[in-house]
Amino acid sequence: MFITFALITLLGALGMLLQKNVVVAGLCMVAAFFGVAGLFVLLANPVAAALQIIVYTGAIMVLVLFVIMMLSSHQEEAAAVSHPVQRWLSVALLAVLAFGAVKLVFASPGVKALAVKGAAMPQAMTLQTVGTNLFADHLLGFEVAGLVLLAAMIGAVALTKRNL
Amino acid sequence: MTGMDAILHGGLQGYLVVALLLFFLGLATVLLRRTLLLQFMGVELMLNAANVVLLAFARFRGGDAQAMVFYLFIIAVAACEAAVGLALIIGLYRHRDTTDSDRAASLKQ
Repeated sequence: MFITFALITLLGALGMLLQKNVVVAGLCMVAAFFGVAGLFVLLANPVAAALQIIVYTGAIMVLVLFVIMMLSSHQEEAAAVSHPVQRWLSVALLAVLAFGAVKLVFASPGVKALAVKGAAMPQAMTLQTVGTNLFADHLLGFEVAGLVLLAAMIGAVALTKRNL
Repeated sequence: MTGMDAILHGGLQGYLVVALLLFFLGLATVLLRRTLLLQFMGVELMLNAANVVLLAFARFRGGDAQAMVFYLFIIAVAACEAAVGLALIIGLYRHRDTTDSDRAASLKQ
């Protein structure tokens, strides 16, 4: 099960990286987000999975696809200046970094100990637990998040409007 | 649980490796693609990788509810970033008629 969702996620992300057409790349991104939602279900967290699908695939990706259609820039424009050396350097650097990081994960004794200690499946996260935690201990943070969302909304409208 | 086993059956290391690869694919998208919309999607992918790590550690610490609160905040910030980022891309397209980040290298018109 895990390997299926992991493959959906990674192949979706890879498709986004390689796809020429921006709309198709956006749909690959949706596949990646669904894979991540599946991973959240396997992590005994159906609340996070539902939120992932509602917020990311539902809201953010619809917004992105809407903007892609609105700007009608479906294909990547031809490069004004090509930087072949820099591109290959960045690919090599990323590959080395990724390899090193993966090696580090497997070498870490702390991660190994935690994996053994927490191997038993915990109780699935419920909305009630999340709500109690959020509104009892993090009420101020919740209000601030609402304020940030409002500021972003006003900012987005102000930036997009032609003549305010 | 050995390394290969963790990857195949979802040990903690498996989740961490998937999140890392997701993060690096997002970073590669930001670095290698020139369309701003795609670079923006790469940023979203990196945010998502951070979420996977957060919730994986929460599950292996016995279903910590604190992580869900942070996850909610991260999602709220990601939504803000999406709204403002896309508005900026639309603004750039109005001024320059392009969504190519290489063509938007100078501040003057």
